[in-house]
Amino acid sequence: MKKLSLHPLTWWIWAIGLAIAVIRFDNTVFTISCVGAVAVVVFLNRENAPWGKSFNWTLKLSAWILLVRTIIGVLIGVPIPGTTLFTLPILPLPSWMPGIRVGGTVTAERLTSALTEGILICAIIVIFGAAASLTSPHRLLRVLPVYMYEFGISIVIATSVLPQLVSSVSRIRQAQKLRGQSLRGFTSWRRVAIPLLEESLARSLDLAAAMDSRGYGVSKKRSRYRPIKWRAADSAVVFTALIVLGLS
Amino acid sequence: MIKFSNVSLIYPNSTTTVLENLNLEIAEGEMVLVIGPTGSGKSSLLRLINGLVPHHTGGILAGDVSVDGNSTQLVKPGGMAHLIGIVGQNPANGFVADTVEEELAFGMETLNLPNDVMRKRVEEVLDLLSLAPLRDRSIATLSGGEQQRVAIGSALVAHPKVLVLDEPTSALDPIAAEEVLSILHRLVHDLSLTVVIAEHKLERVIQFADRIVHINGAGVAQVGSPEEILMHSPIAPPIVHLARALGLKEIGVSVREMRRMTADIRGKKYVEKNADPAQIGETIIKVSDLSVTYDAKPALKSVSATISSNEIVAIMGRNGAGKSSLLKSLAGISQLATGFVDVAGFNPQILKGKERRTTIGFIPQEPSDLLYGQSVQIECEQADKDNQIPSGTTAQILQQLVPGVLPTTHPRDLSEGQRLGLALSIVLSSNPAVLILDEPTRGLDYQAKKELTRILIEFARATRKCVVLATHDVELVAELATRVMFLADGDIVADGTTLEVLLSSPAFAPQVSKVMSPLPWLKVSDVVAAIQAHQ
Repeated sequence: MKKLSLHPLTWWIWAIGLAIAVIRFDNTVFTISCVGAVAVVVFLNRENAPWGKSFNWTLKLSAWILLVRTIIGVLIGVPIPGTTLFTLPILPLPSWMPGIRVGGTVTAERLTSALTEGILICAIIVIFGAAASLTSPHRLLRVLPVYMYEFGISIVIATSVLPQLVSSVSRIRQAQKLRGQSLRGFTSWRRVAIPLLEESLARSLDLAAAMDSRGYGVSKKRSRYRPIKWRAADSAVVFTALIVLGLS
Repeated sequence: MIKFSNVSLIYPNSTTTVLENLNLEIAEGEMVLVIGPTGSGKSSLLRLINGLVPHHTGGILAGDVSVDGNSTQLVKPGGMAHLIGIVGQNPANGFVADTVEEELAFGMETLNLPNDVMRKRVEEVLDLLSLAPLRDRSIATLSGGEQQRVAIGSALVAHPKVLVLDEPTSALDPIAAEEVLSILHRLVHDLSLTVVIAEHKLERVIQFADRIVHINGAGVAQVGSPEEILMHSPIAPPIVHLARALGLKEIGVSVREMRRMTADIRGKKYVEKNADPAQIGETIIKVSDLSVTYDAKPALKSVSATISSNEIVAIMGRNGAGKSSLLKSLAGISQLATGFVDVAGFNPQILKGKERRTTIGFIPQEPSDLLYGQSVQIECEQADKDNQIPSGTTAQILQQLVPGVLPTTHPRDLSEGQRLGLALSIVLSSNPAVLILDEPTRGLDYQAKKELTRILIEFARATRKCVVLATHDVELVAELATRVMFLADGDIVADGTTLEVLLSSPAFAPQVSKVMSPLPWLKVSDVVAAIQAHQ
């Protein structure tokens, strides 16, 4: 299938529309099917570029968030009456923290409510992750107006440096493996984090310096070498999101 | 064109000044080369020109830098964009567009030039740098040399009067480096562009330079013609060392000049030195039928080779010839490799932990990938603990390799050479059988390279050890390697002693051999030894 070449804002508008629809619907079945649809769109349309590959990491990250969010939601919170699944010991809390309970009876209702909320949060992360991996950050920068200079420069740095970090992670882990270090466990990630942080900082500074020395943001007006046009396909994509939004 | 008046520069939290009272005037159409040891402030000097220092980096600047009458105190880097094009050390980090054409246009778009002007200039630059066939290519897919050319092109489209380049050839193979430098040479002569360039590999650039600025790291800067500066400078290309060793009154900075000066030396008859009897040690690395394929593109095509103990094998070839793929397969970290690899009796793919450390030592292209400690001392102690060796051993190795590194320093604050030294001592502390290095001389100055050469030769002399390194640096290969494997497009196209392989290819010949051709000498010490034997 030929990949769609769309306006860089299209997928972002689409994502915002879907995200609002998901929040308004607040229906787990709809949310999950929406995430599925988004994933299909990404796998069909993403480019073979660093940002295209970042979607897998978005999925992993949101799975983690879901897990952590559910565990915390079950452990801490206001008790919801219903079918008891199992009972955890209650952690005694000082009297000035009324209404909060750690542990206690875990009901099916409590578990469901924690899961539902978690899924909603993850869905929104996945939807925006999809927009980020479908849009080239460089093209996005070109359509942003110059008065958004500071914002634009940080968007570009965040969106173009972060996906590159994904490849740096594997490179650094490879090097650590060569040093005979185990790649399991929390400490191994700490070993990756430090070189990674340094590298991303250096890259961001390089990019900011390069943009600055090429006059980005100096003139309030920018000319267009090859203007990016809004086409019928863009309207169609945005329209689908609007329909979903309208239904919600 | 560029004027430094009484410029002093110091960074906060630093005890030494980078520059002290520098006065320098660079005329239009001049090509000025900035040299100095790593960490001496070459990049700072370059970035002072358009005001990135101190506007972008901080630091205290006294005195004034002005370009074409615009003082960097009053005009920010962005305001100089039409006047100065700057190409950073790592151009890939500075790209802001996806395709070559868009990247070239970016600077003009920000300057708000009308569309017809942009079209004309993009075509102009595409032709000038022979980039036309690449115009629609995605930048991420270009080779190092091509990326460097795009970076230069995107600096040139704004028609600047000054072009500033920080180590433009450090990541390039000799042929790509030659291309980039001859383009710069042409720009200086045809358009009277002013070029300021920092470079460690003097043998590549020296013949193009009109003047040299030599900074020694303690704030002192000397300015003069190449001959003046290089006469006594400790930083000098092999050709100058040759002139000094031969006791010539003058030094030549190009092969042509040196050949004229040494005609009588070459004219004499020399006893042919008998080649060292080939010592065939025991086989340590055995590779057969090794193939690596990336995205349906073959990086290595069924390569077979054996490497014996005491050998130092240099793997050379153009960017993208498959050097890194070969090294990664030897180290067992290429998931895509098929075929047979045996390193000191092990399959490197399944090596783990201590066994891996004692079999293969690998220094990646970025030595800092191996480092994660908060200080040099923590790194060394970690290595001692990993290898269960008496504490202090790694620190001792480090002191031998690069003396004078403070244990409390953060690895990030070390110079390139020191960082490589630290990574090397960590790897050596486990006493591996095979040492593999990927492009170890990127960003290293001559002093650090000399140290590296000494360390590697010493390592390879021990029993059952060998060294494999990939590099673009012909001068290093001449000094160090016993054998050269030349890769092209995934095949080994030449494999033989350093002398045979380097002499057979003019592009990869070291300077000394170009001067002394057809005599089979690769390095200054070869020449000296032969002349002494003659007398």
